[in-house]
Amino acid sequence: MTIYPAKLIAFTHIYSIIITLKERVPATPFSVFRVVFGLFMAFGAVRFVWLGWIEDHYVAPVFHFKYWGFSWIEPLSVEGLYIVHFLMIGSAVGVMLGTNWIYRLSAVILFLTFTYTELIDLTYYLNHYYYVSIVCALLCIVPSPPAVWDFNAVIPRWVLVIFKFQIAIVYLYAGLAKINYDWLVLALPLKIWLSAHDKIPIIGSIFTWSITPYLFSWFGMLYDCLIVFFLRYKPTRLWAYITVIVFHSLSGLLFQIGIFPLVMMGSTLIFFDFGKGKSITSNAIKPLKIKEKLLAAVLVLHFCFQLLFPWRHLLYEGNMFWTEQGYRFGWRVMLMEKAGTATFYVKDSLTGREGIVDNREFLNPHQEKQMAMQPDMILQFAHFLGEYYEQKGMNSPQVRAEVYVTLNARPSKLLIDPSVDLTKETDSFATKTWILPHPKELKNAY
Amino acid sequence: MNKLIYPSIMLLMAMMVIVISSCEENETPEDNSFDRTIMLENMAQNIIIPAYSDLKSKLATLKINAENFTQNPNLNSLNTLQNSWEQAYISWQFANAFNFGPAGEQGLRRGLIEEVGTFPVSTEKIESAIMGIPNFKDFNRDARGFLAVEYLIFGLDDSSIEIVQGFSSEGRKDFLLNAILDIESRVTEVLTAWNDGYGSEFVRNNGTDVGSGTSMLYNEFVKSFESIKNFKLGLPLGKRPGQIQAEPQLVEAYYSSKSLTMIEKNLNAIENIWNGHSREGQEGLGFREYLESVVGGQALITATESQMAEIKLALAAIPKTTPLSEQIQNSPAPAERLHTELQKHTRFYKSDMSSLLGISITFSSGDGD
Repeated sequence: MTIYPAKLIAFTHIYSIIITLKERVPATPFSVFRVVFGLFMAFGAVRFVWLGWIEDHYVAPVFHFKYWGFSWIEPLSVEGLYIVHFLMIGSAVGVMLGTNWIYRLSAVILFLTFTYTELIDLTYYLNHYYYVSIVCALLCIVPSPPAVWDFNAVIPRWVLVIFKFQIAIVYLYAGLAKINYDWLVLALPLKIWLSAHDKIPIIGSIFTWSITPYLFSWFGMLYDCLIVFFLRYKPTRLWAYITVIVFHSLSGLLFQIGIFPLVMMGSTLIFFDFGKGKSITSNAIKPLKIKEKLLAAVLVLHFCFQLLFPWRHLLYEGNMFWTEQGYRFGWRVMLMEKAGTATFYVKDSLTGREGIVDNREFLNPHQEKQMAMQPDMILQFAHFLGEYYEQKGMNSPQVRAEVYVTLNARPSKLLIDPSVDLTKETDSFATKTWILPHPKELKNAY
Repeated sequence: MNKLIYPSIMLLMAMMVIVISSCEENETPEDNSFDRTIMLENMAQNIIIPAYSDLKSKLATLKINAENFTQNPNLNSLNTLQNSWEQAYISWQFANAFNFGPAGEQGLRRGLIEEVGTFPVSTEKIESAIMGIPNFKDFNRDARGFLAVEYLIFGLDDSSIEIVQGFSSEGRKDFLLNAILDIESRVTEVLTAWNDGYGSEFVRNNGTDVGSGTSMLYNEFVKSFESIKNFKLGLPLGKRPGQIQAEPQLVEAYYSSKSLTMIEKNLNAIENIWNGHSREGQEGLGFREYLESVVGGQALITATESQMAEIKLALAAIPKTTPLSEQIQNSPAPAERLHTELQKHTRFYKSDMSSLLGISITFSSGDGD
């Protein structure tokens, strides 16, 4: 039997990683993480119900924008949606405090209910909801955790590692996305957003200084790119966490981003070594069980996806900020100021008579706002209009849209070809040929 | 040594930022000194409150003339009444863009514009209300307000004599007076609220988030503009999908044939808000000056004002001697042109402006960082 040295080295290297990952370490960071996460989830769901958003988001609109591949998801009745939210609140508490089957069941229910509500309408897509769904999924697959009040308990190291790795991806990709011409050189969109906040008590006046947007842009980019490294490194950890608090408090104060700042302040606590349990290393190389192999495969697949999927925009022509092909699910947060006015024309193929749609008849302001700048949503709405007017008796309606979009304070331009009958187009991952290029190709790095 | 890494990197970051931003300094022409508080004060004191005061006084005249007419119905008193209706409804064009706060939706009450300005009105509902017991608080918003009064005193294809004769009925007299009283009481309520504290609340709420003075005013300003395009012109021209022909009877102020005057005044009112000018021409801070202070604002102002000039040309090209409804029926081209020019203008107000000014228009959370 011959073993090549290189192979041998790789083999022992992988095994040493596996041994490290299986090492038993104090469970307290994970306990803190799940308590805080569960608490914010419960709080978030209560807030959602309290603000009447179930009705506003899911019940009132006559039309919902679907996620690609999830068009079969429909909103339940009002009662059903309330039950879903109460289940979400209950399971969030279960994730906080439960052990054994209560924990497991809670994690699964939390994942399913939360993800279901997010999938109802694409309008409300937010990167941090996507993050929450991923964390919920990861919580489903970790081994049953010890009681949160057991300060001596231990868990395998990989449980902590997967959450840290996920958080690292979120920050790092958010930071890389900020390395573009508009953000760093023009300080856009912060130049727009910050000056709109000059009336905030005490600190408001600093937003009128012309240097402020540049400071914030650069600090934001460097923060996102580097914070995880500082959190990982013990001597800088405390300072880094103080920065986390300052950064997210400030962005929470300035922007309408709900409970996201709290979620991140809570999540990053997982980098601290709380508790006094002792790490236990076993050097015996035991072969992995089937279940462990399966778990490892799922995690490897998940993280490969996480690392690669955000780069899919490189496969498309044109400026991603303009076309938004490959924009979502890439941790591109608060990255651009974009808005549009979309006017839909519906034509009767037989009579040739063309009418202009009043979007407000079908969409709430939030839906209209999101739709008017995102080509896939424009397409969905056009299909809806085609079907709607066909049912109303129009002869094979043709739907075209005149969509003017402004990006980072530039004069608005046509986003899509206004002569294309959108009912003939379908949504897929293929390039949407009816999207028009931005006339002066934006100087972004992408 | 290790402890110094973090502070030194932070210092480095700060230095980079200063270097970068000092290079950029001369490229930023925008002047960040714009004070929204002063703009809101101007809007409240010189535009909104005067609009409601003027409306209230025009309604008082309308009421007196309606009382005179009902006591003594003749061609003379009818003529006076019709004139005072026109004056009051012109005044309303300058007050129809502020449907928030005391004029906003509250419980079962809808925005003021829906309560007193709904058109087309339902003549059946009005006639049956006259026969029965009129109720101005129900959901039949198409059986009250300015345009219900208009129907009563201008009538459909009736000669003035016939209208006067119609008012021999006590029910008709009562309905007319009560419809005017209803408008007057709603407007008075709004004006009182503005004078008793809402005005200062509006100015104090000087942010740009949803519910701020700027955001509410902006939203209603855009809606007022869009209603000219969608309802005062689009629907009568048969522009809605599913309409198979023009429906001229859907114009605003159909019975008095004052549609064009009202569109013109509505556009004047919108321009005043844009410029921050009072109706008498007194200057102050408006959205225009606000845009001057932000990135990309100057380009938007230029685009907006040149398109507004196109709109005015299109409006001027519509013959004033023939009622709009007849023109829509017989020679719609000039009205079509105005509609097209308004359509071209929409994006400047609807999305470009809010984007440049950073005004939030929805309550829901945005994408976090």
